[in-house]
Amino acid sequence: MALFSVFQTTFLLALLSLRTYQSEVLSEPLPWAPESLKVFINSTHQCLHLQWSVHNLAHHQELKMVFQIEISRIKTSNVIWVENYSTTVKWNQVLHWSWESKLPLECAKHFIRMRSAEDDAKTPEQSFWSNWSSWEEVDVQNSLGHDPLFVFPKDKLVEEGSNVTICYVSRSPQSNISCYLEGVQMQGEQLEPNVTVFNLNHVAFIRETGTNIYCKGDQGDSIKGIVLFVSKVLEEPKEFSCETQDLTTLNCTWDPGSDTGLLKQLSQSYTLFESFSGKKTLCKHKSWCSWEVAPESQEMYNFTLTAENYLRKRSVHLLFNLTHRVHPMAPFSVLFTDVSTTNATMTWKVHSTGNYYTLLCQVKLYGEGEVTQHNVSVEVDGEQLFSGLEPDTEYRAQVRCANANHFWKWSEWTHQNFTTAEAAPSEAPDVWRNVKSVQGHSVVTLFWKPLSKLQANGKILFYNIVIENLDRSSSSKFLSIPAPANGTELNLDQCSYQIHVTAHNSVGTSPASVIIVSGDPGNKEVEEERVKGTEDGFSLSWKPQPGNVTGYIVEWCDRPRGPLCDLQWKSVGPTTTSTVVSSDAFRPGVQYNFRIYGISTERVPYLLEKKTGYSQELAPSDNPQVVMSNLTSRSFTLSWKDYSIESQPSFIQGYHVYLKSKAGQCHSGSEKAVLSDDAVCCKYKIDNPKQKTFVVENLQPESFYEFLVTPYSSVGEGPHGAFTKVTTPDEYSPILIRVILPMVFCILLIMIICYLKSQWMKEKCYPDIPDPYKSSVLSLIKSKENPRLTIMNIKDCVPDSIEVLNKQEGTRKSLTETESSKPTYLYLLPTEESYSGPGPCICFENFTYNQAASDSASCGHVPVAPKAPPSQLALLTSPENLLKALEENYMNSLGEIPAGETSLNYVSQLASAMTGDKFSLPTNPPEPALCSEYKMQMAIPLGLASPPSSGSSSLSSFTLLDEGEHYH
Amino acid sequence: MSYPLAQLCLLPLLLSPLSPGAPISPAEPISQAYSLALYMQKNTSTLLQTYLQYQGSPFSDPGFSAPELQLSSLPPAVVSFKTWHALDDGERLSHAQGAFLALTQHLQLVGDDQRDLNPGSPMLLAQLGAARLRAQGLLGNMAAIMTALGLPIPPEEDTLGVVPFGASAFERKCRGYVVTREYGHWTDRAVRDLALLKAKYPG
Repeated sequence: MALFSVFQTTFLLALLSLRTYQSEVLSEPLPWAPESLKVFINSTHQCLHLQWSVHNLAHHQELKMVFQIEISRIKTSNVIWVENYSTTVKWNQVLHWSWESKLPLECAKHFIRMRSAEDDAKTPEQSFWSNWSSWEEVDVQNSLGHDPLFVFPKDKLVEEGSNVTICYVSRSPQSNISCYLEGVQMQGEQLEPNVTVFNLNHVAFIRETGTNIYCKGDQGDSIKGIVLFVSKVLEEPKEFSCETQDLTTLNCTWDPGSDTGLLKQLSQSYTLFESFSGKKTLCKHKSWCSWEVAPESQEMYNFTLTAENYLRKRSVHLLFNLTHRVHPMAPFSVLFTDVSTTNATMTWKVHSTGNYYTLLCQVKLYGEGEVTQHNVSVEVDGEQLFSGLEPDTEYRAQVRCANANHFWKWSEWTHQNFTTAEAAPSEAPDVWRNVKSVQGHSVVTLFWKPLSKLQANGKILFYNIVIENLDRSSSSKFLSIPAPANGTELNLDQCSYQIHVTAHNSVGTSPASVIIVSGDPGNKEVEEERVKGTEDGFSLSWKPQPGNVTGYIVEWCDRPRGPLCDLQWKSVGPTTTSTVVSSDAFRPGVQYNFRIYGISTERVPYLLEKKTGYSQELAPSDNPQVVMSNLTSRSFTLSWKDYSIESQPSFIQGYHVYLKSKAGQCHSGSEKAVLSDDAVCCKYKIDNPKQKTFVVENLQPESFYEFLVTPYSSVGEGPHGAFTKVTTPDEYSPILIRVILPMVFCILLIMIICYLKSQWMKEKCYPDIPDPYKSSVLSLIKSKENPRLTIMNIKDCVPDSIEVLNKQEGTRKSLTETESSKPTYLYLLPTEESYSGPGPCICFENFTYNQAASDSASCGHVPVAPKAPPSQLALLTSPENLLKALEENYMNSLGEIPAGETSLNYVSQLASAMTGDKFSLPTNPPEPALCSEYKMQMAIPLGLASPPSSGSSSLSSFTLLDEGEHYH
Repeated sequence: MSYPLAQLCLLPLLLSPLSPGAPISPAEPISQAYSLALYMQKNTSTLLQTYLQYQGSPFSDPGFSAPELQLSSLPPAVVSFKTWHALDDGERLSHAQGAFLALTQHLQLVGDDQRDLNPGSPMLLAQLGAARLRAQGLLGNMAAIMTALGLPIPPEEDTLGVVPFGASAFERKCRGYVVTREYGHWTDRAVRDLALLKAKYPG
């Protein structure tokens, strides 16, 4: 270790002695040392500008020199930059050098010094440097002012993606300062006690108004900040290109890329510089610039396009020959001359581009879907003949031109349309006919197809029809039908006619189409054959005809179900025996009928074959309307006579009869089938589509069945819609009906007879009982006009009793001697009591009456005063009258009975009743006849009243009548 | 939309001090000035918010406030109640007159700054222009009041001087903030000043 120290000391001493020697040798200062060094500060650009001079240079002497410049930061020992600046120095020249600091100059002190040496190529190492100049101190902080906080650099403009250094200078060291970039705190490093530095890498463009960076102390200091203006990077112009249309002006264009403009500064500018002429122009637009071509014949151009903004410049170059950049203007004055049916001549003019150039023009002709192209060499006027055109056709011609010698670009197209002249129609119209016989006449409907555009050669104006009678050649008829009719109807007789049809336009007539309508329709029966259609149409074929045939015609209707069937036809040559008929009108599920005619050499069409089919068969869409009949307990019959199998969407092959029953048993002839709703039923199959009746048998009486008849074809069957419900009747009810009906009839007959003979029957079986109210006696009484008269009702009759006491005397013993001493009660009519007292003779011999009464109620034979009629009752039940009467009645009845001799003791049942019959007893003098005979009553009314039944009541009436008379 | 209308309304207010013959009663100019001040008061916060919205962070941050930012050339509106109450009518009017004179000049400056910093915001520029016009209108009204009250009208001063032109973009943003903020404060204070006067000189 000691050894090492000794060695080191020795080495240092040696080194020191060497330097001393050198300084002694070179003690003579270099004659061209930098002098008068001044440092200028540009804070905005963070630049230091150095300015110095070299003295002692001889007049007109030029010396290549190198200046070594040292820059230190904060302190002189902290050298941050050393640069050798080589230049040629002249006598009395002031030299300049600039240095841009990455750190804002306000953030730290800077020190600069320099020395010089002769820049000699022979001695590459500048071993003979001059002395260093003294350090020049740059301290911007001193001039900042007294604010507590500063942030630098101010308003700096940088490109996106560059690195920026920011610092703050704080004058209050105790304050804790935070800095933010758009609200996000930044992390810095302390450069000096009062200076902190933030390095921002790859700064991003945020907005055109700049990015705010600000710092704030925690001591309530003011915020301080800067705005950093970040611009987008200037792009190099792309697709720079120049061309001329008229050889007087060049138009240069380019893609400028994105705009670098900030609100603080303008966008980039563009400058166009041409090196041969040395001219320069500032472009007014961002993407194109005009350049006036020099009047002298400058052919070569070398352009430099420079894009420039505050921070950057970018250039692109373009070298070209003017004649190679000619982009001609579009041709003009395009005209057509000599336009005929098939030819036309087109002429056009081109803009003059000087006398030396030939243009190549491209002509395109569009017509009828075809394009033809021609190339024409043009100097001033162009011309092109079009031939082989179609008559009456619109064509579109267009032309464009380019420099023939040095192709650069085609001009724009110039378009023009023209139409060729009309010509006579080239083809005969395709004619067909439909013949119907109506009442001995032939109604011939002629049809023709409109000629195609190529055939018509112009607008068809009318059709001429010549009808020539073949049987009588002398008579022919002429018709002219104006277009656009495509048919006409002719009424012809049964002769044969030859019909010529021609189409006419403004120029001429088409060839004639000839068809013969035969007098004999010749509609022989031809069997119809089924064909299967496809989406592409119907493929039809037929047998070749042995005779001479000039062609065949297939005829059909596009709308067979419509009222107008829209007759169509297709003509084929004589050697063709098959064709495919297709039509946009063909629809699935529609039956189409085709008739194939052969055309004889005499042009007479005759039917060969008939075909029918569907372009696509569909399942039957609806089921027949089924009528059920002959319903018995064991069977019923179904029929659907109205179902048309022709109008179905497919060929009907038969029918399915579905029968649902609760039993679920299927008999022979049917099979079990499961319907879509999982219902099980029996299915009967009918193979013949023309069989439209079916008998369902083997049914159970009094059972519920459901049936459905649906057609089926090769593609399926009809819808399983609603089943029809049926219940079979009881097996015995018919028999019962056979029995009951005659019986009912007989009973009815008897009843009618009885009704007719009812009077007789009544008389025989139950004669009428006389009604006292309807008695003729009443009318007799009424005639006396006594309103109180009424008939006594039997119900009101209360029987009184007569007690017969057996006394040993008198002649009356015979009446009561069998009764011993027991009291005997006899029931008497109450009215009779008045007679009982004085008269010892009582006789009950009204046998007729008794007989009648025996059939009625118990007291029916006893007439009682009626209670019901209120008018009468009111009279009778007048209270004072009644009481008085009762008293009198009772007293009288007691008083009247002689004490000693009375053998018949009468006890009135009306001791408390209100029979009015007794009222009259005291006042009523007895009838003159003391011994009243009951029989007598029967005798009286004989002449007055016809019914003998109400004799007793009539007596009562009399009694009451008397009584009433007395009261009044 | 409301600016042209407001300007039309201001026209007679601006013309009033120029008309020959001062009004005899101060009530009318006080009432006019008071109405204008009330109208201005409704728009001051909108102006401040619009201004801040266009300046970026931290100005556009929600709840931004920097009361410590002041401008030496602009008298602050903040005053203690006691001081304010002790002022007489002439002093109050004189203070307001001086403040709004400074505000009109500062609003012009801020408008110019923003035309440079935010050329793509016509709404902000229009609001700044309208605020300046209203401040001028209020100045005219207050001059009319002072004339009616027989008070001397202070001479117009150049409050800005040559100082503000070297300011950086951030300093200009801060300056604009202080001006728009103080415009609101001074308007609030003018409303109170004029309300006091209005009570003293009922119409």
